[in-house]
Amino acid sequence: MSKEPYNYPFIHDVGKYEKITKIGHGTFGEVFKARNRISKEFVALKRVLLGNEKEGFPITSLREIKILRALKHDNIVRLQEICRSKGTPQSRKRGSIYLVFEFCAHDLAGLLQNPQVKFNLSEIKRMMKHLLSGLFYIHSNKVLHRDLKAANVLVTRDGVLKLADFGLARVYSRKEKTHCFTNRVVTLWYRAPELLLGCRDYGPAIDMWAIGCIMAEFWTRSAIMQGNSETNQLTLITQLCGSITPEVYPDVDKLDLFKKFDLPASQKRRVKERLSHYVRDRHALDLIDRCLTIDPAKRIDSDSALNHDFFWSDPLPASKISCLSRLNVSMFEFLIDRKTTNPQHRPEQSQMSQQPGYDRVF
Amino acid sequence: MSSWYFCSNEIVNSPSRSDGIEITAECRYRREGARFIMDVGNRMNLRYETVATGIVFYHRFYMMHSFKTINRLIGAAACLYLAGKAEETPKKCRDLVKAVRTILSERQMEAFGDDPKEEIISHERLLLQTIKFDLCVQHPYKYIVKFAKNLKDDRAQIEKVVQMAWNFVNDSLSTTLCLQWKPQVVAVSLLHLAAKLSKYNLSAAPDGPHYDHSKSWWQHFLPEINSDVLEDICLQMLDFYDKTDVGASNYNMISPPKITMKVPQSIPYRTL
Repeated sequence: MSKEPYNYPFIHDVGKYEKITKIGHGTFGEVFKARNRISKEFVALKRVLLGNEKEGFPITSLREIKILRALKHDNIVRLQEICRSKGTPQSRKRGSIYLVFEFCAHDLAGLLQNPQVKFNLSEIKRMMKHLLSGLFYIHSNKVLHRDLKAANVLVTRDGVLKLADFGLARVYSRKEKTHCFTNRVVTLWYRAPELLLGCRDYGPAIDMWAIGCIMAEFWTRSAIMQGNSETNQLTLITQLCGSITPEVYPDVDKLDLFKKFDLPASQKRRVKERLSHYVRDRHALDLIDRCLTIDPAKRIDSDSALNHDFFWSDPLPASKISCLSRLNVSMFEFLIDRKTTNPQHRPEQSQMSQQPGYDRVF
Repeated sequence: MSSWYFCSNEIVNSPSRSDGIEITAECRYRREGARFIMDVGNRMNLRYETVATGIVFYHRFYMMHSFKTINRLIGAAACLYLAGKAEETPKKCRDLVKAVRTILSERQMEAFGDDPKEEIISHERLLLQTIKFDLCVQHPYKYIVKFAKNLKDDRAQIEKVVQMAWNFVNDSLSTTLCLQWKPQVVAVSLLHLAAKLSKYNLSAAPDGPHYDHSKSWWQHFLPEINSDVLEDICLQMLDFYDKTDVGASNYNMISPPKITMKVPQSIPYRTL
């Protein structure tokens, strides 16, 4: 029964914003760039898809709202308000709910795919510092992001990075000894080994793995491990980070899927060796190496990462990012994908199918 | 962010009042709705936080809508359904309907129409928009424990007081106290009430060399709260007990057991 017999004076109608263009689509809806008709301020509108939900308003969207309301930090995207649109009676549509965010001009994936956008070491340090500060803040608030990737990192015109898309995020508590979370989280290319092996009692370390992948991308310019299946992803991880064994990761044999996968044995760890072609700075290499540690218990956490020599050695993090102020167009991965015929970010179109060599991984 | 606290004038002049519902009737609807949420919640083995959150949603919801326009049983069911999600203890709507059926009579179920599940889900949307997606709700329970840990009295005595205060919090959910005062304030007041009724004087643990013995114990936790506020809250609670036959029937039909939510075993209290 579709009905709207009541007035909703409690939240604003989305009509106060003028939609300008679609800038993305996530698992749970589309994202539009829009402008407040009165203040002329730009915002991003994220529509929550409703209608076919068997269980009412999606719990994932409720989590996103609850978490974003509680989080206030410069490096976390700011949720300004929630709006609604009226359903139309003839189409039996129920109307939508929109999350209204501050507008950010770019996302990191879009920027990195543009060869004209160049970052120097000190600018990369600044951006990594923003990323890790945002992550440290959410982890201190007992929130796991669970979907970190370059496309979910927004960049303002002033060069401030903001973690976005908390659609998969959830709260964890250190008090509860074991969790039973779903392991079907994080975009494949950024998924930590413990998740791929079926771990359900994971923690903040899964976000740090993704941070390692993103950090390397500042130099490689595309995702470093573009697997096309879970097995393939684990193979790529093994080729870069060495074989996954109980010696490097105690208790790994207790994970559900460890025995199911026939993973390459006696592979050496080559993170620094293989990335050194791209990353010249030894502190940067070391930090990436520590993020891409197989054993989640030994993987560096956001606090220690912020104290890493990378941020405290010359050149220090930059105070601004010069090339961004010269960019007049928004760089969003979504827009680039539409324009080019060779999207590098779609797992299903990846060319990497079961290649035994590792030279092509980057 | 909007405030969910109202002065007594606003509570008296609620939407139900403009709709011609007497205040005594509204108080009864609030009490019965709260009881109904507790009963359904207990039947579904939901945690006390989830139940309490559902009840707070219910009270807030009917500060914006009249009991005449929105059926209180459906409203209550939608509140519990949403609280399940908000507190990470989600239940299937189908199971909620099942639990509701075991509690309500055939005739009462008629309010839910032909498709009770759909009815709850569409009310959940109305509820979300009414409460402006404010899903983070705090309750006095955790403050009772937190404050009690800092009291320097006989442990056995405090434990008794805490248990009594905890039961007062359960019962306070049937009143509009959660619309008037922050959970911290309700917590100190109900600890105060429990101590008074146990004829016990509470005193806060000295905290540092600057411990001010002239202050009342609660002012070490909430310096801005004076004793008038405490007295007012205690009176509201006593008034509630005075007017309510706790064992009497609710929502016209069944007699629920005395509220069974107890201080959980894992309460950090024992480890003091």
